[in-house]
Amino acid sequence: MQQPTPQPTPQPTENATKYAWTVPPDRTRVIGTSVPRVDGPDKVSGRAKYTYDIARPGMLHARAVRSPHPHARIVSIDFSAAKAAPGVRGVLTWKDPGTEVMYQGDVVAAVAADTEPQARDAARLVRVEYEVLPFFSSEAAAMQPDAPVVFPNGNTQAGQTQETGDLAAGFAAAAHTLEATYSTHVITHVCLESHCSVCEWNGDQLTAWVSTQGVHASKQQIAGALKIDQANVRVICQYMGGGFGSKVTADAPIIIPARMSKDLGAPVKMVLDRKEEHLDSGNRPSAFARVRAGVSADGMLTAFDGVTWGTGGAGQGANFPLPYIYQFPNRRRAHTNVYINTGLQRPMRAPGHPQGCFVTEMLLDELADLVGLDPLELRLKNLPPTAPDAMWAEYYRMGAKQFGWDRRHPTGDRNPGPIKTGMGVSANQWGGGGRAGAAHVRIQPDGSVLVQCGSQDLGTGTRTLLPVIAGETLGAPLDAIRAEIGDSNLPFAGVSGGSTATPGIAPAIRIASGRARDALFARVASALDAAPEELAAGDGRIFVKAAPERSLAWRAACKLLGQEPITADGQWEPGFSSVNTSGVQFAEVTVDTETGIVKVTRILAIQDCGLVLDRLLAESQVYGGVIGSLNFALFEDRTLDPRTGVMLNPNMEHYLLAGMTDVPQIDVVLMDMPERGVIGIGEPPTVSTASAIANAVRNALGVPIRSLPLHPHRVLAAIDAHTNSGGGPA
Amino acid sequence: MIVEVEVNGKRHRRDLEPRLLLSDFLRQDLQLTGTHVGCEHGVCGACTVLFDGEPARSCLMLAVQADGHKVGTVEGLAVVNALSPLQAAFREAHALQCGFCTPGFLMTLTAFLRDTPNPGPLEIREALSGNLCRCTGYQHIVEAVSRACGHPRP
Ligand code: FES
Ligand code: FES
Repeated sequence: MQQPTPQPTPQPTENATKYAWTVPPDRTRVIGTSVPRVDGPDKVSGRAKYTYDIARPGMLHARAVRSPHPHARIVSIDFSAAKAAPGVRGVLTWKDPGTEVMYQGDVVAAVAADTEPQARDAARLVRVEYEVLPFFSSEAAAMQPDAPVVFPNGNTQAGQTQETGDLAAGFAAAAHTLEATYSTHVITHVCLESHCSVCEWNGDQLTAWVSTQGVHASKQQIAGALKIDQANVRVICQYMGGGFGSKVTADAPIIIPARMSKDLGAPVKMVLDRKEEHLDSGNRPSAFARVRAGVSADGMLTAFDGVTWGTGGAGQGANFPLPYIYQFPNRRRAHTNVYINTGLQRPMRAPGHPQGCFVTEMLLDELADLVGLDPLELRLKNLPPTAPDAMWAEYYRMGAKQFGWDRRHPTGDRNPGPIKTGMGVSANQWGGGGRAGAAHVRIQPDGSVLVQCGSQDLGTGTRTLLPVIAGETLGAPLDAIRAEIGDSNLPFAGVSGGSTATPGIAPAIRIASGRARDALFARVASALDAAPEELAAGDGRIFVKAAPERSLAWRAACKLLGQEPITADGQWEPGFSSVNTSGVQFAEVTVDTETGIVKVTRILAIQDCGLVLDRLLAESQVYGGVIGSLNFALFEDRTLDPRTGVMLNPNMEHYLLAGMTDVPQIDVVLMDMPERGVIGIGEPPTVSTASAIANAVRNALGVPIRSLPLHPHRVLAAIDAHTNSGGGPA
Repeated sequence: MIVEVEVNGKRHRRDLEPRLLLSDFLRQDLQLTGTHVGCEHGVCGACTVLFDGEPARSCLMLAVQADGHKVGTVEGLAVVNALSPLQAAFREAHALQCGFCTPGFLMTLTAFLRDTPNPGPLEIREALSGNLCRCTGYQHIVEAVSRACGHPRP
């Protein structure tokens, strides 16, 4: 999935004027302050029930039988031993004999038993006979001209070549040209809560507890897969242990328990183990770019010619935006998707952007050295014109000052001794901007408020946004507001992905709350001797705008409702949210040239996201994105055995993740732009850190750095290669 | 095997399969689902419990090993529905996103802060280096611990 194409913002509606985000100066803001998350108490006390924690009476446990081979034809499946094993209640064929499995971990069959250990034992007893077939464990192997045909529609698929401007003229205008190949690797999502679900039927109605980024999307996908009415499916996800883009598809771990539960007349739970999670629940595709680029003597980019490829596994694409952000007036790009025998890619936090950003930002530092310009200077010369959604130049200047960019030395730390230091920068952009969301608000006569929205909280804090928005709009105390999300019986909301969740639902909650407030004004106005339109709400009171001392406390006002609560609905409308963010990041590292170990010492992230709804939540998205990208640069790497095609590190021991001591001081500067309305912030901060770090390493060492991850042995190899080639420019 | 174990101050006597993991016993048999399993092999620390007061990874232990011992889980941290100072600090400092790793961090810290009541930021990071947060909330976690110890922002 590429990021949604930003569409022009439509004209604001009447509601957008009536319920605009602006807060009159006589009222205390809730929006934009640091409201602690409402689910905090449940999460710190162990009370929060994740899908993985759900247990239903009489529940069975399902376990998949998966292919150990990267590519094979299923000859036969023999369930007899499994069926006879203790506790086994049923078996299911997922792929029929005669069909092919395309990667290690591809699902073949499943068993269900009384307990999880019994299901595991039984799965091992299912005898599957395979005819092993040729496979690819690398892009290079799949791209060989004489490679066997492993994928029915071809091992590679070339896209349209895109060309803008006059490439020949661009290169003619260049004072320097550079040819280099850059690459980034495959990583997996590693949600701490693995993919899981519990399915339970009541007649023809299915209730599914699913660890999902979209309860409504899941409901629709499940109904489609089972060929039943969407109205007969209810999907619930109250708490989830991360998704990062991988939990958007209703596939085997949901459909298997749904089908087995129906067949067996009992609830069925299925939880992937860590290995299955690595193999078969998504990954970030690889990216390779063979680039020729030109720059003029005064540092203007003149031409970009890129041939790119990458793999999204056994049949999925791997495209990415390139060149990224900076303006090459004359450019050409040809991309080819390459298929290899691994699990399929799924969107992973800012799909495509970290890859395109890496290639471009690394190239820019090299071009800057050719011209003899500071890399930041070169960037400032080649950015798109500054606009509210393109603030890079301003952020770069601001960040340079705050970070102390003037202390950066030219490429290659000349200090004697094995420890070298360096600095790097990088920019990011993201579209975001959701357009689907509905909300329901109910004011009870006792003053309690219910806000409902069928969105879900991956951990980003979505649930907390409901009381923040409703609280400010209604003027009700935050502790009077109960938020309900994570249930497809609640009003529709889109998938939490692509930074679209918040801009999708925030307008709906604002409108529903505004309507509820107006209805309340209409019913209490006479008690204040005023007309409804003379009233305002804020700080836990309803008051007369012109005479604030004439007021009612929130609960006293609600008491006037008698028995009949107020209900109001809202739907996404233009005018409350927009698209496109920009941000920049600075990194400082030390590199030990004897061990190859890179230590990040400082990160500065400057990021905008439109109107900041909750400062704590927004900041924590940036911290998380930065560290996730640091992981991409220095730690994570899905490693395949070239000879057998199996994953060598399907665990969390050899698949590395940064711990507390690997994480530097991170400074976050959030640029509040309330006039732009709400824009998501999940993706952009995770785009840039990896390339800022990699350029900092290049700056420290003075050797070319053109691929990730920067594991110690690869850093040492880069130093060796440079020394052996006789040094020269990095 | 008959096993007698004290969990959060409550004694349990059960007949258990020898291969049952301590984490599964807590989660499935006692329905104490606050203890989470992330990596399943001792790396991420999500399953950390207190075993006779010391942090231990319940995914690496068998339930039968707990026979005659005391186990503490995240459900035992709050005193009569009020959050402990550490829990409250986690909430206020936003030291959690999805929260899946949080119980493990809290259990590791409970023992650490008991033994090291006034840690510096580096000590905190060292102490927590065996707990992984994928989301990843490290920065706010360090802040929460400092806050729980009465320090301002580190
Ligand atoms: S689940 Fe026990 S250490 Fe990760
Ligand atoms: S908060 Fe999600 S893993 Fe730590």
